[in-house]
Amino acid sequence: MTGRYLGVDLGSTTAKAVVVDGAGEILSSSVVTMGAVSRAGMQRAVDQALREAGLTESDLHGTVSTGYGRRLVPGAGRTYTEITCHARGTAEMVPGVRLVIDVGGQDSKAITVGPDGLVQDFAMNDRCASGTGRFYEVLARAVDVPIEGLGELALRGSDDLEVSSMCATFAETEIVSMLAEDQDVADIASSVHRAIAARTLALVAQVGRHTPVVLTGGVARNPAAVHFLSRALDAVVTVPAHPQITGAFGAALLARDADRKRQVALDVPGADEMFPRARGHAPAGRDCAGCDGTNESGTLDLGIPARR
Amino acid sequence: MTTTAPTAPTAEPRTERLAITREGGRMIADYWEDLFVARESGRKIVWYNGGALNPMFQAAGLAWCHGEAFAARLAAQRLEGPAQLAGAEYGYNAELCSYSRTHLGCAVLTLKGSEEPDSGVVGLHDRADLAAKLPAPDLFVNNYAGCSTGQQWDEVSYRVFGKNVPIFNVSHPFLWGNRPDAGYLVGSEWDEASRYVRDQLVELIDFLEVQTGRPFDYDALSESMTYIKRAGELRREGLDLCKATPAPATFWDWISCIAPINFLPGNQALVDYFQNVKDEIQQRIDAGISGVRDEKYRLYFDGIMNWNKLGFLSRKFAEHGAAVLAGRYIQNAFWQEPHLIDTSDPLLGMAQHYLLCPTNHGSKTLDHLTLRDCESYGIDGIVFHSTRTCRAFTGPQRLLARSARDNLGIPSIFFEGDVADASFYKEEILDSRLVAMLEAIDVARERGDHRRAGRGAEVAWPA
Repeated sequence: MTGRYLGVDLGSTTAKAVVVDGAGEILSSSVVTMGAVSRAGMQRAVDQALREAGLTESDLHGTVSTGYGRRLVPGAGRTYTEITCHARGTAEMVPGVRLVIDVGGQDSKAITVGPDGLVQDFAMNDRCASGTGRFYEVLARAVDVPIEGLGELALRGSDDLEVSSMCATFAETEIVSMLAEDQDVADIASSVHRAIAARTLALVAQVGRHTPVVLTGGVARNPAAVHFLSRALDAVVTVPAHPQITGAFGAALLARDADRKRQVALDVPGADEMFPRARGHAPAGRDCAGCDGTNESGTLDLGIPARR
Repeated sequence: MTTTAPTAPTAEPRTERLAITREGGRMIADYWEDLFVARESGRKIVWYNGGALNPMFQAAGLAWCHGEAFAARLAAQRLEGPAQLAGAEYGYNAELCSYSRTHLGCAVLTLKGSEEPDSGVVGLHDRADLAAKLPAPDLFVNNYAGCSTGQQWDEVSYRVFGKNVPIFNVSHPFLWGNRPDAGYLVGSEWDEASRYVRDQLVELIDFLEVQTGRPFDYDALSESMTYIKRAGELRREGLDLCKATPAPATFWDWISCIAPINFLPGNQALVDYFQNVKDEIQQRIDAGISGVRDEKYRLYFDGIMNWNKLGFLSRKFAEHGAAVLAGRYIQNAFWQEPHLIDTSDPLLGMAQHYLLCPTNHGSKTLDHLTLRDCESYGIDGIVFHSTRTCRAFTGPQRLLARSARDNLGIPSIFFEGDVADASFYKEEILDSRLVAMLEAIDVARERGDHRRAGRGAEVAWPA
């Protein structure tokens, strides 16, 4: 597995880059926070990922870009939308996932994934910032808490305050009003998290509730966001180890799949249909046609380590 | 580095718009120029909104101004700003229907004239020229179905003109479609509503006779409706020709044909125009010319037109090989059931068309019509224009999306925009959703399960 593939997710507030090898294993990844979509931020993310992998751009066998700024990524042989890439990357990280909820800086998405790991349906928030990472930033600023500490604060509060507005601008005004009423900051934070979870539930309703559920995007690192979403959905919400890079990971896998032009169904359900392979190019030892289940030594190979 | 197929839009336009629509544009321009000088030529002027009452006005010898049509014209020319600013100054904010906001602004400007440069915005005074050009009304007639704003709009215009201009309102029952015998164009609800509106048209004629001071010319109405019926038939035949694969013309061509069928006089020129439209489409089929070069996807567009973006949207979809072919706004509006019109006694058929406004149906009927058109045009996906200030149109859209998915396996996307306010549109929102849907269609095609063919619509109507 000598190929090296780069996936770049140039989002609204962060740039993510992932390098994978021919087996789809992550060799390196990077997440760079930007003020807004920027070429410089994207280049830093790419440089960092390549450096960590010990590669240069000339070593790459394929690049796919995604995200708001996907067209700004030089060298990308192809672009895909975040929908396709998040589904692809998440299905690889969490096999069996049926519902991906991705909450990014400027938008949130609900994506249903088929048993084969491919997109079935999706819905995105409308143009306002409700339920997105930006909304949490507004909350953090209003209650004067670092964004990293917002989740822990919210988990300490009760959830009995009424937050009626889901417009980020009006919600800020509402939060200021609650502070002026001397409401507990933790209660305010928890109530806003609850309201955002309810908003996300409405997004999920457009594609239908499915389980298992996986939350991705930067907001997935907020434990209160996970808690309240899980409560709203009445389902376990799984967060992958690296929730921010699922889109870039999916993009890297799509670059790999396109380059291989061979059977990838064994490790990525459905990818063969997406990028049909040429006949007769299956990896050696994986094609069962004409095989009676025995290996070269004539013993039955169950694919498990032999006990000694 | 491996290079895979690029998805970046090609530089060369892939649209092949119908040439004849330019002739339609000239007819429309002439119509407006004639309206602007109607008072000088001795005609009274009626402002109206909603269903196409123009044959009544034609027979009554009036000049007519359709409010939405003028707002759409301003938006199409990106000249809506001054009128909307005037409307906002009068007290109508951006949450109000942008058609009505624009037209109310026109009313304000008509009263004030364009001579008062009361804005500091550079160039605004010059751009207000067209918006201020409408001749003041001698009477109002409201004919709005399925939209309460439409009725309030003329009532407000009446107040803008100091309550000194006579007004007549035609009231339309909402077609719920929930009686046991209900169906599209059939059932007791349909019959009762048709007669109810028809009777009001008789009263409208009385009103027009009083306002004009002369007897209504029924023969002129029959003559006008004969031409309109024929134009409607030709339009339908042309629409049906677009079911061919690849499609010879697109939704955007038919959008360009809305103005002629909606408010131009019923006469031979109108019939000739739609005959020419149909002929050009047939010629394209014969010559193998498609509306979108290398058509790859066939889409349905639900929502009123985003008039600021007509050319832009036609190119955007075509760049991806997406032929938009059908939509509630063209298939299910504008004299779309010409067989209902009895030219010797056209009032009932006219009333029925006013009831058939696409915002005046219950969800069951809309579902029936949408699934029917998706099936007959071989639609791969639906694009819902979530028209920000038109709740009447957007209300049932989620239900329609779910039904298309469940019954036909057709995916949908939503994007926000508006009929006459470009500020609600954001390109990235449409772009990311559209491309994601097309990617999903590609995957489904590869997987071999795109459109669960044969399931068909599950909405059954009485025969």
